[in-house]
Amino acid sequence: MPSVSKGIGLLVLAAAVLSFPALAPNPYILSAGIVVLNYAVLSTSWNFVGGFTGYISLGHGALAGLGGYGTALLVTRAGLPSFVALAVAALCVAALAVPIGLAALRVRGASFVIVSIALVLILLLVFQSWASVTGGSRGLVVPRPFPGLLRPEHHRVFYYLFAGLLALALLAWWVIDRSRFGLGLKAIREDEDKAESLGTPTFTYKLIVFVVSAGFTALAGGLYALWFGDLDPVFQFSILTGSYLVLMALLGGVRNLFGPLAGALIVGTALEYFKGQFGNTPLHLVATGILLGLVVMFMPDGVLPAITGRWQRLRKTPESSIREVTAAELRTERERAEAKP
Amino acid sequence: MSLETVELRKAFGGVVALDGATVSFHEGEVNALIGPNGSGKTTFFNCVTGMIRADSGRVTYRGADITGKAPHAIARAGVGRTFQLCRVFPRMTALDNVLAAVRPKGLAGGLRGARHRAEVDRARGWLTRLGIEHLGDVEARAMSWGQQKLLELAGVLMGEPATILLDEPAGGVNPALLRRIGTLVRELNAEGRTFVIVEHNMDLVMSISDHIVVFDRGRPIAAGPPSLIRTDERVLGAYLGV
Repeated sequence: MPSVSKGIGLLVLAAAVLSFPALAPNPYILSAGIVVLNYAVLSTSWNFVGGFTGYISLGHGALAGLGGYGTALLVTRAGLPSFVALAVAALCVAALAVPIGLAALRVRGASFVIVSIALVLILLLVFQSWASVTGGSRGLVVPRPFPGLLRPEHHRVFYYLFAGLLALALLAWWVIDRSRFGLGLKAIREDEDKAESLGTPTFTYKLIVFVVSAGFTALAGGLYALWFGDLDPVFQFSILTGSYLVLMALLGGVRNLFGPLAGALIVGTALEYFKGQFGNTPLHLVATGILLGLVVMFMPDGVLPAITGRWQRLRKTPESSIREVTAAELRTERERAEAKP
Repeated sequence: MSLETVELRKAFGGVVALDGATVSFHEGEVNALIGPNGSGKTTFFNCVTGMIRADSGRVTYRGADITGKAPHAIARAGVGRTFQLCRVFPRMTALDNVLAAVRPKGLAGGLRGARHRAEVDRARGWLTRLGIEHLGDVEARAMSWGQQKLLELAGVLMGEPATILLDEPAGGVNPALLRRIGTLVRELNAEGRTFVIVEHNMDLVMSISDHIVVFDRGRPIAAGPPSLIRTDERVLGAYLGV
């Protein structure tokens, strides 16, 4: 795609995101928009690990939960200003991601998935039982950063804060995607032993990108805590959160910068819609499951690659097929063999 | 001396793959490592390059002890390798496959663009040298077996290793390509690179090697120039069972 049309696409996207609060008919729709944006940030943060290295973490919900509780406790216990607390909490979670990564990133494939699930379950138990600090199942109330604001204004401010954080996460992903570090990470996704044998310190690479991912995830979790104002371990340390993030990223396309965002828009909106339609039943989970099944069957690389692929075929770009390349290679092969008997 | 091992031992459960292998390869020469199937050649490669940890014994490269070092550290020390069942990054283009062998230093080096001009030129140079420059933008999974083998070698060469370990370079390769690989090894050797080649194709081994080490049951039973190995009774015994 030429850079001009890319630039225009980016502008349209930014305009659409930024104009949503003005277009939203009521505060409820605006708050649903914030939930979707929160998912977009979380899913993009997840994609630092999942998209580049291919390590599928179901535990990212726990990192967001740690960011949320960290921010809340730093405000309530240490008396830090809200956004200072948010930054400090994110740094703490990033630091904590080092020992977590040292343990978890030693195993690959399904074993890594299981370790990441264990992280969520352990933290759920800790935060539920340690009620004297975390409030336990009664929850933890987070003071609002802007006490003077009315509810619609409060939503509007946080909508833009989430949009800013999303832009930051996308920028970081883009920088890594085009870098040598990113190429090394993608090599790990393709064949970790091979990457190592070419001289890439694979473990260090994985650990660094896990820490970056954890930092962004914690920022999103902390911002959510400041916005929502109430934390409950059951929701903060839930396998479901991690599963949604994986679903969104896979649905949008993990190799694509905007894949997780697209997935979050689709799944996030669908979740809110299904919850509205089916009320307080688990039917929204069934609907989401069917959605995942359909995507995996018909668009295994995700929605965005499927659409761009169709677009390129429509424009009939002279892209040489595999067969043509092989034939050309065969010909040169034959000519070379004849030249040097 | 280039690569040397002393009393290298590795057992998988009850199967002794390496049984006190003491081997040395000659710097600046094309060394070959031959032996019947299951004689421990690939395990030997894996121990030397750090992919698996030997139970005991030592590995040195140019006098420095590299026993138990991580594979990337051994690669960065100058030992490159290919795999028996050729390994490339399937969903990356040929160019990216080669560029993946670039080793950035520090944070700034890592965050620099992967499509750095000088490095892209160097990568394309290797693709050209191996005769697959027209496939630069094709994903590796769309390439034929022979093309993938050449691509794997291009990636290894991008890391500028002084010593290259090839695990069965002739496996599943047509005669024309086989000649090309043979010539290439000779040329690269003339430019100063040391080779250690595991291979079953005796014509290739005898025609390109300076020094041959023969393995049987996890240890060397003979070593010397091709003329000597061809007539060695222990070698004939190991291969033919006489």
